[in-house]
Amino acid sequence: MSEESHHPAAVSPIERRVAALEAMLTERGLVPGGFIDEITRRYESEIGPMNGAKVVARAWADPAYKKRLLTDGTAAVAELGFGGAEGDHMVVVANTAAIHNVIVCTLCSCYPWPVLGLPPAWYKDPPYRARMVREPRTVLAEMGCELPGDTEIRVWDSSAEVRYLVLPERPSGTEGMTEAELAALVTRDSMIGVARL
Amino acid sequence: MSTPLNPALSLSELDLPRRNGELAFDAPWQSTVFALAAAVVDHAYGGDREPFRRQLIKAVAAEPDRPYWESWTAALEALVATLPDR
Repeated sequence: MSEESHHPAAVSPIERRVAALEAMLTERGLVPGGFIDEITRRYESEIGPMNGAKVVARAWADPAYKKRLLTDGTAAVAELGFGGAEGDHMVVVANTAAIHNVIVCTLCSCYPWPVLGLPPAWYKDPPYRARMVREPRTVLAEMGCELPGDTEIRVWDSSAEVRYLVLPERPSGTEGMTEAELAALVTRDSMIGVARL
Repeated sequence: MSTPLNPALSLSELDLPRRNGELAFDAPWQSTVFALAAAVVDHAYGGDREPFRRQLIKAVAAEPDRPYWESWTAALEALVATLPDR
């Protein structure tokens, strides 16, 4: 009998730890049946970045909404039916020709989940968190977002108190588009501020 | 000269024309441990995320280079250890 049959490669130590947590929490009645599948499905599909794209498209199409969004992000986002956990205190920062905004969380990974879904892997990487604050222009360029030398870059550090969302500039040539068509142009990365549209 | 932020990034993500809807988890255990934390926050702490968030900050600070979901797991283990016995 081979050594492998005693230690199936499929189960890593971290998987074992998570399985142990799941068994223990389930036994304590803290994990209702189907809860894990339901949460995962919601974050990956319904609560994904498309919520944020709808917010951005509305702001592009409706100047009054844009004004409300920039004044009270939480309330304006709630107007479209989005909110709840991790979206309590939304502050929306608008890109202009002269100013580029980007969000980061230096402490852990605070992120506006209700509008952007789960954070991408790199958002949680220590190099991104540390370097975006120190040398944003270089990091943005490495990520494919080259900015003119005279563009001011503002880095916003998210926290439990405030979650930021970047309102990207509306691309030119989109004047005749409907709100739904506009929403389809908006990427998650443009709302984090690591890409332009 | 600085090293690239994440060499895999340009290939796996930035080259894609559309990035919305990308799966955030690389393995099933990651979505499981994410959902387990949500369950504990909801059902043991009445929706208060702060205790877990404090553990997560501690876990990330303890080993900054540890993969994120492993820190998340460590944070949940630490939080669960503080739950009162039944």
